[in-house]
Amino acid sequence: MKISGLYFLPLPPEQAYQRLQDPEVLAGAMPGCESLEKIGEDEYRMKMKMALASLSGNFDGKVRITEQNPPQSFKLMVEGSGKVGFMKGEGNLKFTPKDAGTDVSYEGDVQVGGTIAAVGQRLIDGTAKMMIKRFFDKIAA
Amino acid sequence: MATTTITKTEKLVGKRIRRREDPRLITGTATYVDDIKMPGMLYASILRSPHAAAKIRSIDISKAKALKGVHAVFIGEDTKDAGAVPCGASLPGLRVPHHNILAIDRVYLVGHPVAVVVATDRYIARDGVELIEVEYEVENAVADPEKALAPGAHAVHPQWPDNVAFTFHQEGGDVAKAFAEADVIVKQRITSQRLIPNSMETRGVVADWRAADRTMNLYTSTQAPHLVRSLVAQILGLEENRFRVVAPEVGGGFGAKIQTYAEEILLAWISIKLQKPVKWIESRRENFTCTIHGRGHVDFYEIAAKRDGTILGIKLKLIQDLGAYFTILTPGIPTLSVLMMPGLYRTPNISADIVGAFTNCPPTDAYRGAGRPEATHGIERMVDMLAAELKMDPAEIRLKNFVRNEEFPFPTATGLVYDTGDYSAPLKKAMEMAGYDKLRKEQVEARKQGKYMGIGLCAYGEICAFGPSPATPAGGWESCTVKIEPSGQVTVLTGISPHGQGEETTFAQIVGDELGVGIDDVLVLHGDTQLVPYGIGTFGSRSTAVGGTALYYALQDLKATIKKFGEMLLESDDVTFAGGQCTCNKSGKSIGVKGIAAAAYRAMKLPANTGPGLVATHFWEPPNFTFPFGAHLVVTEVNGETGDVVIKRYIAVDDCGNILNPLIVDGQVHGGVAQGIGQALWEQAVYDDNGQLVTGEFMDYTMPRAHMMPWIESAHTITPTPVNPLGVKGVGEAGTIGASPAVVNSVVDALSTLGVRHLDMPLTPEKLWKLIAGRNA
Amino acid sequence: MIPQQFEYSAPKTLDEALGLLAEGAKPLAGGMSLIPMMKLRLAAPEHLVDLGRIKELSYIREQGGELHIGATTTHHEVESSALVRGKCPLLAETASHIGDVQVRNMGTIGGSVAHADPAADYPAALQALEAKIVLKGAKSERTVSAGDFFVDTFTTALEPGEIVREVIVPIDGDGTGTNYQKVIQPASGFAIVGIAVRVRKSGDKVTMARIGVTGLSNRAFRATEAEKALEGRSGSPAEIQAVAALVGQGIDANSDLHASADYRLHLASVYAARALATALGRIA
Repeated sequence: MKISGLYFLPLPPEQAYQRLQDPEVLAGAMPGCESLEKIGEDEYRMKMKMALASLSGNFDGKVRITEQNPPQSFKLMVEGSGKVGFMKGEGNLKFTPKDAGTDVSYEGDVQVGGTIAAVGQRLIDGTAKMMIKRFFDKIAA
Repeated sequence: MATTTITKTEKLVGKRIRRREDPRLITGTATYVDDIKMPGMLYASILRSPHAAAKIRSIDISKAKALKGVHAVFIGEDTKDAGAVPCGASLPGLRVPHHNILAIDRVYLVGHPVAVVVATDRYIARDGVELIEVEYEVENAVADPEKALAPGAHAVHPQWPDNVAFTFHQEGGDVAKAFAEADVIVKQRITSQRLIPNSMETRGVVADWRAADRTMNLYTSTQAPHLVRSLVAQILGLEENRFRVVAPEVGGGFGAKIQTYAEEILLAWISIKLQKPVKWIESRRENFTCTIHGRGHVDFYEIAAKRDGTILGIKLKLIQDLGAYFTILTPGIPTLSVLMMPGLYRTPNISADIVGAFTNCPPTDAYRGAGRPEATHGIERMVDMLAAELKMDPAEIRLKNFVRNEEFPFPTATGLVYDTGDYSAPLKKAMEMAGYDKLRKEQVEARKQGKYMGIGLCAYGEICAFGPSPATPAGGWESCTVKIEPSGQVTVLTGISPHGQGEETTFAQIVGDELGVGIDDVLVLHGDTQLVPYGIGTFGSRSTAVGGTALYYALQDLKATIKKFGEMLLESDDVTFAGGQCTCNKSGKSIGVKGIAAAAYRAMKLPANTGPGLVATHFWEPPNFTFPFGAHLVVTEVNGETGDVVIKRYIAVDDCGNILNPLIVDGQVHGGVAQGIGQALWEQAVYDDNGQLVTGEFMDYTMPRAHMMPWIESAHTITPTPVNPLGVKGVGEAGTIGASPAVVNSVVDALSTLGVRHLDMPLTPEKLWKLIAGRNA
Repeated sequence: MIPQQFEYSAPKTLDEALGLLAEGAKPLAGGMSLIPMMKLRLAAPEHLVDLGRIKELSYIREQGGELHIGATTTHHEVESSALVRGKCPLLAETASHIGDVQVRNMGTIGGSVAHADPAADYPAALQALEAKIVLKGAKSERTVSAGDFFVDTFTTALEPGEIVREVIVPIDGDGTGTNYQKVIQPASGFAIVGIAVRVRKSGDKVTMARIGVTGLSNRAFRATEAEKALEGRSGSPAEIQAVAALVGQGIDANSDLHASADYRLHLASVYAARALATALGRIA
């Protein structure tokens, strides 16, 4: 599934760029993230607990940041798997100055598999959007 | 309770008699596999791959094994000796993947069984499954047959990087000449999407090994119990005569229970390993991803014709989505499409090329119609497009090209011999019922008001009553034993395995008329290999035409014996047996079946060269298929604002030969039409690019429901087949075969004013709305 | 159904239930969403509190010029209640569109509202009705407007330990017309788009318009721009078309295999026009 969007952060591009790469900030912003542990250069192991409606599941995953081009763009990869299925997201983030802040635009691809893919089709799009919005809301906070 | 007398005079065949099997079904007293409970029985739950393509790096079963209540956990390595899932179809150069009953080092479809947990109850077994840790190395997958055949595609099986399982060519006549001489050639790519058969009862198995007498009892929800017995006994090296397969009540199959599945082998293997009875019941989620699917065609058609509408030839390039491995008939299904590709038309020149493509999906196999709906959809769409091209009425072009009544038996360009027919009769009847000319005038008016009204025709033929043994993978005959008990009541043991088709009723009707006994004095038994003679099973609209004929001939043998006893008891050599009575034509004295049965078993005296008892067995080999036909006419209206399709009228005229029970025939037509409309408008197994089934539950896979069905105006013409003495041809698949082209032709007709000439199924509202909105803008 | 092991309590009183919920148990109402999730092991609550035996949660009564509907009142009860049909026909009409007969016999208004499925039917009507939702916890009770209650996909104003106790809908007098129109997703029975309309007229002028929308986006919402555009107008066919076109304006529409975002937005406008015309036509 293709995803794309735009989010305004009230920070100059340099700061916005940095914030979005700060493991502590990421850990606090990723919905359900319980821990983020550095395992390599720009690579982290993540434990997530997803809770949405009555759905709940633990995911073990990875976060990777590549193709860094500060303060204009980088690529963010998130993947996780658990008993209820797995997901994999890959997105290019672009930072454009706007007024006193930054427009962060993203464009990417989300793959979902396992039980959640087979039974949650009508909700995947909406849920992905909600998760992304929550993520940016936290980043901005 | 059955209280009718043994003799009766009223004819039963041809009557709308309610099904004898229904009381137990609607009162919940039928016994399905999941109703079987045995002392000490264990439960199996299967861990399945969430990935469509991956290497298995490691499997850790230690936590599952440690769970209290878990008896055993098995993985692919353990079951290597248990062999592979069998495929019965053979084609020259066919590449057959070895599909072990549990994956060994790789998985190649979502739902691929990876491990099995056996526990004291099904909850613990399932908990155990969740404790197994598998490390996968995920690979790219390919779920679309055209993409699978493209260069550079992921290889479903590394040893066959082109994903081609087989190619198959067939031709008849001189198709090159036909196309060279044609005034007009119409070409179209036509798809027939993947469908999920979805019987009400999912699959399920109970295996019970008794080591002391080397006996296996396998209870399984199958359409072909003897086939399962032969195959699983052979695969596991067990003695066939000590291997009992029982198909208890089976809650629907639609072709998806002809196969011998991994779980049937696996459960038998587990029962031997653990020396315990063990049960596995398929979940609906497993059913969606692990039981066979139907259809999966991408067809490239070309049809050549003269200016006057005479069809000269048809070319077809058929890509069959086979899935990742084969079940019993997988590669054979598209060859049936080729056999049926001329439809009901005289078309003397054909050429067909099949490419069977591997994909990371479940195998396709027989699903109600199996190859014939695809072929009928193709030819009936092409004929409509040809009519449009030539500005002819779609009825006229069909009537012009039908095989003529005097041409039967008619040899087709694909090598079949059509038994008999009056192909224009059902079409004319459907048009008469619809008021065709008036409808066309209404359509003109509706179009003036901006409405999208369509009238769709389909004239379909079928290959039924499978079939002559050379044309089937495991024999095409059928067996029957009839016993008249000492009381005069009758027990029928049939080799077919009905699971909704109603033969417990129709066979009793045949017996009633032949022996002159009441319907309630007849018991029809089936589905137990230790009870009935070896049989082939129920599929391909064969049960009554082939199994019923075996019954008919067994009854003739019995009648001859009855007559001998009658002659002895009436002391006359001029005796007639009719209406359940042997009557001496001279004295007028008579004796009924009951009296004769008593005498035959008491055996105080026996006729010459005749033993005691009244039992006859007949194995019948059919000389040919039967070829039912018919016509459907569908009136639709497409809502211009939303793209919704409303079926205003549905007319189905079927010719299945003689009708034994009109109630059951109507039920078969209605059910078949529902499934055909389902394909035309709603159903679709959708896979994403990673091979994930995204319509994996009823929340997203649109099963047709009663309230979504139009009123079906059903009628019949009757052209008895000469292939069997009952004159019956088969009706189980007719509705499905006729429905999808009739509905699609109707919707294409509705939107033809927008320049639409073809639409692929399913005709979802959004698809139609986009067309309407786009062209209107 | 083969769920994970769970503890099950079926208290007879609300207080008892709230006590268990305060300890982290999960409430079970009609089970039409939760049970399938448990069956698939997508949900694995450790402790379920079945609210179905709490008599004090199942009622429909008129009180203070409003209708009070207890949380465990089934869709069928709402759909067939003479009181609801007479005094708040929009709610009864909406209930009649939910799922199928079996779902309506089991599913409850409180369960549906608390679950906040973005394609559920009730939330559209509750938005149009400006309903109030009474939330009860072990130690407190509060009332929230429907507008504040539905926050996001499966996300509501409910705090942990709180349940929906009742739903309060207004009784509209003469001069009001309502209608619920729904595009059904044929597999699931959920709404691809559902539009609930409640309009009041005085003389030739629409004095009040409320339009609740479900299925279109992350949550049920009120199409306030469209409402404003209709108020003060007569409700002519041309005006209805123009107002209906505003319903999806600025909405980030959902997209799935049954309907793309574009098609959903189009359907929202078509069905809003149908619902507006029907509701206006029903004004007595």
